Amino acid sequence: MNGYRLGAIGIVITFFTIITATVLLPMVLFNPKESGHGNKYVKTDVANPARGRQIFVREGCFYCHTQFTRLQDRGYGPLVKAGDYVWETPHQLGTARTGPDLTNEGGKFPSEWQKAHLINPRALKPGSIMPSFSYLTNRDMNDLVSYIQSLGNQRTVHAYVEAPAEYELVYLPKKTVDTNSDAAANAGRGIYTQNCAACHGLEGEGNGPNSISLEKKPANFTRGFYKQYPDAFWFYRVSEGVTGTRMPRFNEILTEEERWYLVAYLKTLPQNQEVVVDKLDQLNKVGQVHLPKLTEQEWEPHSGGD
Amino acid sequence: MLLDAVLSNREGSAARNFIMSAIWWSILGMGAGMLGGLEFSMPDLIHNIPQLSFPHLRMFHVNAVAIGWLSMGYVGAMYYMVPSLAKTKLWSERLGNFTMWAWNAVMVGAFCTLLNGATEGREYAELGAVLDVLVAIALVTIASNVYMTVVNRKVKKLYVSLWYFLGALFWFPLVYIIGQRTFVALPGLNDAIVGWFYGHNILGMWFTTVGVGMMYYLLPRLTNAPLYSHGLSMLGFWGIALFYAPTGTHHILQSPVPEWLKAIAVISSVFLLVPVLTVLTNFFMTMKGKWQMVVTDMPLRFAVTSCMFYLVTCVQGPFQATRWVNWYLHFTQWVVGHAHLALLGTFSFILTSAVYYGLPRLTGREWQSQGLIRAHYWLKFLGFLLMMVSLTIAGLIQSAGWAFGVPVDQWGLQIRPYWGLRAVSGVMIVLGQLIFAYNVFKSFYTPAAKVADAKTAEVKA
Repeated sequence: MNGYRLGAIGIVITFFTIITATVLLPMVLFNPKESGHGNKYVKTDVANPARGRQIFVREGCFYCHTQFTRLQDRGYGPLVKAGDYVWETPHQLGTARTGPDLTNEGGKFPSEWQKAHLINPRALKPGSIMPSFSYLTNRDMNDLVSYIQSLGNQRTVHAYVEAPAEYELVYLPKKTVDTNSDAAANAGRGIYTQNCAACHGLEGEGNGPNSISLEKKPANFTRGFYKQYPDAFWFYRVSEGVTGTRMPRFNEILTEEERWYLVAYLKTLPQNQEVVVDKLDQLNKVGQVHLPKLTEQEWEPHSGGD
Repeated sequence: MLLDAVLSNREGSAARNFIMSAIWWSILGMGAGMLGGLEFSMPDLIHNIPQLSFPHLRMFHVNAVAIGWLSMGYVGAMYYMVPSLAKTKLWSERLGNFTMWAWNAVMVGAFCTLLNGATEGREYAELGAVLDVLVAIALVTIASNVYMTVVNRKVKKLYVSLWYFLGALFWFPLVYIIGQRTFVALPGLNDAIVGWFYGHNILGMWFTTVGVGMMYYLLPRLTNAPLYSHGLSMLGFWGIALFYAPTGTHHILQSPVPEWLKAIAVISSVFLLVPVLTVLTNFFMTMKGKWQMVVTDMPLRFAVTSCMFYLVTCVQGPFQATRWVNWYLHFTQWVVGHAHLALLGTFSFILTSAVYYGLPRLTGREWQSQGLIRAHYWLKFLGFLLMMVSLTIAGLIQSAGWAFGVPVDQWGLQIRPYWGLRAVSGVMIVLGQLIFAYNVFKSFYTPAAKVADAKTAEVKA
C-alpha cells in the first residue's frame, strides 16, 4: 500500500476541497434575505395550497414545468429574485420545459379552468400532451389548483403591457436617444416612412397599401391602447417584430440608434378614432408604379428563343 | 444449507447475481421509459391509472436505469474485474451476495413507492428515507469489500482501472449521502445547489469513473494489445477527479444562484475536455492497428461504440455548459438527448460489453447465439441514434420557441413528429434489451450446451 499513500491522500484532499468550495461554502455565504415576493400559501375553507404543493411534488409536475423566469422569457411575468425561494423546499425549480413555465401562473386562468384542464387537458388546449390527472380525488384536485393559483401571487405586475426583462434591464439603460424630443421624432419620421408606412400607413392608422392583403391587420397606432406603451415595449416590438404576423424583426435591418429614433416618432402619433380597413378605397392611394417593360428574353431567360 | 442458498460462497456468484439482477431491472426501467415515450405521442393511451401516469413512469425509469441497471451492473462488473486485476479472490462472496440482496430490496422498494408517487420531490434523488439509508449501507459495504480485495492483492502495481474503481467507491457513497438531503430541509436555492451537485456527480463520480475504468479494462483485453500510455491514463484520472466534481451548478445556470458558483461550474465544465480527450487519445491509440477487430468481436464493438459516444457526449457537455449556449438550449429536449447519450449511448454500451465479456468467464458457459448479440447491437445502436436525432431536433425547435417568444401551444405542435420518432426508438431499444435478456436466459439458465474450460481457466489464473 505504501506506494499509493500519496495518491490516496491526494484523492481525499481534492474531493474534500471541492465539497467545501461547492457545497459547504454556498451554504455559508449564500443566505438570501426573504424578498417578500415568494409564493404565499393561504389556506381557505375550500382548499389548502401548502398541501397542494405536496400533490404537485407527488404528481411530478416539475419534470415538465419549471418555476423560474429568465431574462429572455417572454410573457411569463416578472423576473424572480434569489429571496423568493427561501421557504421552497424541496425546490421545484425544474430543469425541462416540456410545458410552460409556472412561476407566475396564479390568476392567469380561473380555478375551474385549471381543474378542467387537469382532468382533460386536450379539451381545453387541443394538441397538448399533458397527461390527464383525472385520478386525483376532489380534495387533492382542489388543493393542487389552489397551489397553482398561489404561484407568483406576491409578484406584482406594474404595467398592462411589459417588455421582456431584457429590454428594461439591458437596452433601456444604454439608450442614447432622448425619445421625448422633437429632434429625435423628426429623425424617426424618415425611418418610419421608409420602413413602416407601407403597412401601418402614413398617419400610423394601420391602413397602408399592404394592409389589405394581410390576414392579420397591421396595428393602428392611433388607438388609445398604444398611448400607454412604455419606451422599452415600443423598442421591443420594433426590434423583434410580432410572431404570427408579417411584422418583421427590425433589429436585423436598423441599428439600435435608428430604432430609438423610430420609437420617438411613434410616440408622437396622434390619438384618433379607430379606423377599420375593409374596403379598397379607404387605403392610402399610391400612384401606379411603372416598372420598365421586360422583353420575353429577360422575363424568361432560359426559354430558348421566341 | 439455507445460508449457502441465499448468501452463496461460490466464487464469482456475487458478480453473476449482480449482473443478472441488473438485466432484470434494465428491462423494467427501459420499459417504463418506452411507455413514457409512447405517452408523449399518445397522451390518452393510458387513462386513470396513477401508477402509469408519465411523471411516475419517469421517476421509476430514471431510478431503475441509473440505480438498477447501470449501478448494479457496475458493481457486478467490479466484483468480477477487481479480483481479476488484483489476481486474487473477492474478499467476501457472502458479503457481496448480501449487498446484492440489499440492492434488489432497494429496487423493489423503488418500484412500489415511485410508481405511486411516494417521492422526496428531488430530481435524481427521489427515493424515500428508508431506501436512501439502505443504498448508503450497501454502497459502504461494497466499497469495503472491494477495498479489502485490493488490499489482499497478489500484484504490486495498481492498474489504472483500479484507480478509477477505488476512486469511485470513495467518492460515490459520500456524494450519495450528501446529495440525498433526506433528513435536512435546506432553503430553496441551497437545496437546488446541493441537488445539482449530486445530480451531476452521480454521473461524474460514479457512472463516468467506473465506466471509464471498465473501458480501460476491456479495450486492452479484447484487443490483446497493451495500453498505449500509463502516464496519459493517470493524467485523465486526476483531470476527472479535479474538474468533474464542481460542475453541478451548470444545471441551474440561469437561476438566481451566486455568480461565483456559476463561474466555477462553467470553467470546470470546459476544463473537462482535458481529461476526456486524454482518455480517448489513450483508447484510440490502444486500438491502433486493431480497428478491423470490431467487425467480428461483438463485445469489442460495443466497447468501441461506447468510446465514440463518449467523445460526442463529452464534446457536447462543455459546450452546453457555457453561458450563451446554455441560454439557448436550456430547458429543452436537446438536454434529454444529451443525458441519454451519456447514460444509454456511453455507459450502457460499455456495461453491455462487460457483460458479454464477463458472463462466459464467470459461469464457464458460452453465449448460445452470436446472431442475437448482433440483433441486440443493431437494435440498440440504431434505436439510440434515432432517439438522439429526434430529441436533438425537437430540442432545437423548442429552443427557437423560447428564444423568439413563440407560445408553447404553437411549438408543441411542431415537435409532435419527433415525439413519434422517439417512441419508435424506445420500442427498438427495449426490443434489443429483451433479445439480450433472452440470450442470457438461453445461455445461462438452460442445461449447458458447451462448457468452455479455457475461458474459466483464464479467470482462475
